[in-house]
Amino acid sequence: MSFLTIENACFSYGEEPVVDRIDWRIEQGEFHCLVGRSGCGKTTLLKVAAGLLPPSDGSIRIQGTQIREPSALVGFVFQTPNLLEWLPVLDNILLPLSLHRTIAPSDRDRAKDLLALVGLGGLDGRYPNELSGGQQSRVAIARGLITDPLILLMDEPFAALDAMTREDLQDDLLALCATKKTTALFVTHDIAEAVYLADRVAVMEAGRIRDALAVALPRPRAADIRYSPEFSALCREARLAMDGLAA
Amino acid sequence: MKRRAGSWLLLITLLAAWEVFCRVSGVSTLVIPAPSAVAETLWDGLTVGFLWPHIWITTLEMVLGLALGCVIGFVCGIVLGETDTLRELLWPYILASQVVPKLALGPLFIVWFGFGMTSTVVITALICFFPLLENTLTGIHHIEPQKRELFRMLRATRMQTLLRLKIPSGLPVIMAGVRVAVVLALVGAVVGEFIGGKSGLGASIIAAQGMMDSTLMFALFFVITALGMIFYQAAILAERWLLRHHIKGNQP
Repeated sequence: MSFLTIENACFSYGEEPVVDRIDWRIEQGEFHCLVGRSGCGKTTLLKVAAGLLPPSDGSIRIQGTQIREPSALVGFVFQTPNLLEWLPVLDNILLPLSLHRTIAPSDRDRAKDLLALVGLGGLDGRYPNELSGGQQSRVAIARGLITDPLILLMDEPFAALDAMTREDLQDDLLALCATKKTTALFVTHDIAEAVYLADRVAVMEAGRIRDALAVALPRPRAADIRYSPEFSALCREARLAMDGLAA
Repeated sequence: MKRRAGSWLLLITLLAAWEVFCRVSGVSTLVIPAPSAVAETLWDGLTVGFLWPHIWITTLEMVLGLALGCVIGFVCGIVLGETDTLRELLWPYILASQVVPKLALGPLFIVWFGFGMTSTVVITALICFFPLLENTLTGIHHIEPQKRELFRMLRATRMQTLLRLKIPSGLPVIMAGVRVAVVLALVGAVVGEFIGGKSGLGASIIAAQGMMDSTLMFALFFVITALGMIFYQAAILAERWLLRHHIKGNQP
C-alpha cells in the first residue's frame, strides 16, 4: 500500500472535467512534483488531494485513510504566503495549532525551532509586512509544517519570487523535507524547479497525467546539478512531454 | 511640516483679510462679525465658563450616539454578513433606509422621547448606524479566497473564521466606516439639538439666533469645528493604531 494513493480521481466545475481519472501514488518520504501549464488542472488536483474539493469520482487515501475533507494529516502551502497581516510571525506559524487548542510553551519553542530551520531564527516578533517576499514564503512553509503533517502539499509556493530567492528556497525546502522525512507533493509550472526538487515528476495536461518521469539525480542536491547534462536532458524530456511529444 | 506651515499661513491670511474687510467696509456685526470680536466672545465664553456645559452636553451626546450607533451597526453588520437569508430578505430595506434623511425623523423622536438629550442621542446613533452596518458587511465579505481556504484547510469553525479571519481582515473597511460615523455624529448631535435640544452647542446656536447675536453664533461655529476636528483626529489615531500591522502605505 502506498503512502498517498490517488485513485481514479475526477473533478469538474461544469461539463468539462478539470481533473480527469487520475491515478497517482507517492511512497513515504518521496518528493513528487506536478508540472503543467496554467489551467491544466494541477492546482485543482492538489486541492482535491487536500480534501478542499470533493472528488466527483474516485478517492484519495493517506495510509489507507480516505480523505474527504481537510485533515490534520495534511499540510498545505498556498500560492501566496497567505499570512495574516495582523499577527506576528510566531502566531502565524502557530495558527494551525491555536485554532484547535491552547498554545503551550513547548509549542512556542517548537515554532521557534521551525522558524530557525527555515532560516528566520529570531524574527518571531516581526509582522508579515516587515518581511520580504522570500521570508514570507519561508514562514508559510513553517506554518505548513507546525502540525507535523504526514504529507505536505504545495501549490506553486515560489512562483512569485525572483529566481535567486527561489533557488535558495528550493534548497532549504529539500533540506527541511529530508530532515523531517516529510512526504511532499509540489505543484509548479517551472520544469527546472520540478526536476530539481522531485524524485518523480508528473506532467499534466488537460486534466490528465500525460507522462511520469523518474528523476534519478543524487541527493542531497546542490546548485551545481542544475548545469549537468542529466539535468538538462530531464528538463527536455519533461518539456517534450508537455508538448505531447513524448519519446 | 512645510505643508502644515502653508496651511496655517493661509488661515492667518484669511482671518486677516476677513478682519480688514469688516473694519473697512463697515458691514454690520449682525451680518458678519469681525474675527477679533468672535475671538473675544469665544475667549469670554471659555474663561467665564458659560460655554463649557454646552460643550460637555454636545460631546456627551456625540459620544453616546456614536458608541450606540457604531456598536449596533457593527453587530447588525456581523449578523447580516453571516446569515445570507436574512441579508437577502432585508437588503432592499437597508438600501431604502440609507436614502431616508435621518434628520427628518427628528421631530418624530421628540414625540417619542421628548425634548432633550435622549432624542439627540437617538438621532446621532441612527445616523452612525448605517456607515458601520454597510462597512462591516462589506469588510467581512471581501476576504481573500486563499485566506478562506486556509481557514477551511485548518478546519476552523465558523465562529473562529469570523473572529480570527473575517473581523480582523475587514477591520480597515470597518474603521473607515467609524471615521465616516464620527463626522456624521457631530452633524447628528448639533442638528438634533436644533430640533429638540434644551442645551448643547446646537441649542446655543438657536438661542444666539433668537438674540440676534451673530458673534456668538460664529464663536459656537468655531467650537463645533474644533470639536469635530478633535474627534476626527482621535478616530484617525485609533485607526492607525488598530491597523498598524495591516498593509503599509495604506493609511489616510
